[in-house]
Amino acid sequence: MMKPERGVSRRDLIRGGAGVAMARVLGLSTGVGEAADGPRSRVVLVRDLDALDDTGVADPGVVHDMLNRAVAALFDEEKAAAAWRRIVGPGDVVGVKSNHWRRLRTPEALEEAIRAEVTAAGVRDADVSVDDRGVRSNPVFARATALINVRPMRTHDWSGLGTCLKNMIMFTPRPPEYHGDTCASLGAIWKLPQVAGKVRLNILVMLTPQFHGVGPHSFSPDFVWPYRGLVVGVDPVAVDATGARIIQARRDLHFGGPSPIRPDPHHILYADTRYGIGVSDPARIEVVRVGASEGSLI
Amino acid sequence: MLLAISLVGCGDRRAGSRSMDALRGALPETVGGWSKDGPAQLYDQDSIYSYIDGHAEVYLAYGMRRCLAQRYGGTAEGPGIVVDIFELATPADAYGVFTHDQEGEPTAIGNDALLRHGWLSLWKGPYFVSVYAEGEADGARAALLELGTVVAAAIPEAGERPGLLADLPSGGLVPRSVRYLHDQQTLNTELFLSEDNVLLLSPETTAVVARYKRENGSGYLLLVDYPDVQRRQRAEEEFAGRMLGGRSDGPVDLGDGGWYAVAGSGGRLAVVLDADSSELAASLLEEASPGGDHDET
Repeated sequence: MMKPERGVSRRDLIRGGAGVAMARVLGLSTGVGEAADGPRSRVVLVRDLDALDDTGVADPGVVHDMLNRAVAALFDEEKAAAAWRRIVGPGDVVGVKSNHWRRLRTPEALEEAIRAEVTAAGVRDADVSVDDRGVRSNPVFARATALINVRPMRTHDWSGLGTCLKNMIMFTPRPPEYHGDTCASLGAIWKLPQVAGKVRLNILVMLTPQFHGVGPHSFSPDFVWPYRGLVVGVDPVAVDATGARIIQARRDLHFGGPSPIRPDPHHILYADTRYGIGVSDPARIEVVRVGASEGSLI
Repeated sequence: MLLAISLVGCGDRRAGSRSMDALRGALPETVGGWSKDGPAQLYDQDSIYSYIDGHAEVYLAYGMRRCLAQRYGGTAEGPGIVVDIFELATPADAYGVFTHDQEGEPTAIGNDALLRHGWLSLWKGPYFVSVYAEGEADGARAALLELGTVVAAAIPEAGERPGLLADLPSGGLVPRSVRYLHDQQTLNTELFLSEDNVLLLSPETTAVVARYKRENGSGYLLLVDYPDVQRRQRAEEEFAGRMLGGRSDGPVDLGDGGWYAVAGSGGRLAVVLDADSSELAASLLEEASPGGDHDET
């Protein structure tokens, strides 16, 4: 594809204002004053330089600890166990919606950490299931009272980014119906009865995120880097907006100049402005930082 | 009449099946240190989603009919190589898919081919071919080139580039910036124009967009061919009305130095986008008109 150039201020007028908002989501400066009014959200960015071994594989112990530190910080609890009990508890049936895309899947170590904490919070083992493409036929998901949403961040040929918002698309019988206008309507999935009101926690895995795609499989190991982080929050829009800023910053660094994510991941903005699911404006997102700051990019 | 159309449709499908069978048969059992990993898989417009998920929209936008996929396995722990052969609606559409990503080193395979680290792309006839290495491995580059060469040789006809390319002005054309497309969403993936289909693009329209860099600045030129004059006129009115405040009498400054312009003739619409100066916008528009400065791209 062409080396993209920044031209946000011209496109602002074309988009009738949406361009300003999307630029703000991605952390691009538009010279327009940031909007600080409106609802606010909180996410935790946790990073640990020991999260990956020499081969780039997640260290189970470190990743489990990262998850707990993030959850504790998110809920302002001293101990992670107390925070988990605010997420799920006895009587809950928990579906962990993961992502098993073969080229960059949710680390199994993280899935196991989530399962361990959920059961420690009092959920019966038989009432927890981890799944991706089989969620519509999974009996635990069918009676789930709570969902935990976890997936790696990556670029995507059609939606711009593969996000926590997008991760719920497997709850629909026909995902291509949400592909129009480069997946602008993904927020609508969060209004479906099988999803609405059930997602208790969103975990955007940024241990080895992908910042650029090539080819029909949209993956190249050349464009994955060891960020060693997780972005965790109750608000999926705020989680995704924060992750998007990190990806945008990485692209600008790697390509030596402004390199907008293409296509525009406007489903993040619209999940806020059209569907009211969460907050996309960084000015209204509090990012609580836990752990390493070196190389954080935002 | 319906029976005749049905028979013609069946004929096209049979011809396509024969072509895919020939391509399947041309794939070697082994290449370098890699061997076929199971039989080739054939995907259609519905099942392609199960293979490449939302990425399928890129190919469907160019009338993808089928995709033949063959994986080659390397050593037990080593990365594989995946060959994907996409049959598009026309050779021009195969060229269009090829222009979706034009980074890499040009290589003499098919009509055009580009080789980057771990990925070879090429087009020939109505086929876009991707040969992709799943990771680093000794000999992978040679294997990609060999597979690409074999597949290209098995495609009987070269096909032609879109005729629209000849109408792009040559001066200042940024190499490898040209894209061929049909729809607004594909255009937006390259150069965001609008959330709405302000140019009334459709599968029946053909378009090329290219970037220019001259002394008086840089900008984009988009040429669109509509099926008839009436549709071009409606598109021109829509674009001028929605984007240019109703003006189509010359370049319009949309603020912060972005100049836009539109002019139509017959079924052809020329649109200048994001130009740095009114002079550049005016000259691109003039050169894009019939009799202007053109070149084969």
